[in-house]
Amino acid sequence: MDMTPMIDVVFQLIIFFVVTLKMTTDVNPDIVLEDGKHGVTLTQDNMPPSTLEIELDRSGRISIHNATMTPAMLRTILKNRINRHGNEFPVLIRADRRTQHEKVRKVMDICTESGIWKLSFLAIQEHKAKGNAKN
Amino acid sequence: MAYQRKQNKGESPKLDMTPMIDVVFQLLIFFVVTLKQEDILSKLSAARPAPNTDEKIKDQQPDLINVIVAPQGFIFNGRPMRLPELDRGIERLSGYSKSAMVIIKCTADSPHAFLVQVLDVCNKHGMTNLSIFSM
Repeated sequence: MDMTPMIDVVFQLIIFFVVTLKMTTDVNPDIVLEDGKHGVTLTQDNMPPSTLEIELDRSGRISIHNATMTPAMLRTILKNRINRHGNEFPVLIRADRRTQHEKVRKVMDICTESGIWKLSFLAIQEHKAKGNAKN
Repeated sequence: MAYQRKQNKGESPKLDMTPMIDVVFQLLIFFVVTLKQEDILSKLSAARPAPNTDEKIKDQQPDLINVIVAPQGFIFNGRPMRLPELDRGIERLSGYSKSAMVIIKCTADSPHAFLVQVLDVCNKHGMTNLSIFSM
């Protein structure tokens, strides 16, 4: 039996998985999002590279790409972004569903003070990940 | 002892493929198992006006829809209610005008999930003119 085609296919699969595998996650894994089936689906097209995603966990910790920051640091980052892209870049807030509004408010106020009026909140349109039940 | 020269009869040497196939299948199974499917996310956009614009907007726009997000639920048209009732209320009003401004007022101790639910309901019925205020 000629094994060459099977080995070819298996190697292709392995290369695919190696390339697509993300070992470390760059978002805060503790954040549980609320369901939002009717929002605009997040795709690569409506998320340009200038998009800023601000994470806010249950305790009110602000982070970007899972790197914790203080409100002052967030202000500086927003200021630098506005200098580079203007104030038209999309700002996404990935806030935990259990976070109290006063903590979300702090993030929104920082954005408003910086001149960003349009904010978007992330929600889950369709559950795909296993073991991510709401609690 | 006389040196016997191996005779090449024109056949290619046989290579045992079994260990390689074993390893490759192990790798394949590892990648298939560790592959995590991600949830499909949506974004719910809203405007966040500066805190002192509340009164100005009230004067300009007669057709305002007020939703208050409280820790126990929602207050819509002065009546406390749960999400299905709010859904019906917004659906009814969206029949008159989809461009009517929806003012979402969040109390400090309300969970972020409620705000996302209101935004989702508004998106469901095509209301796009949404503003978030904090109380």
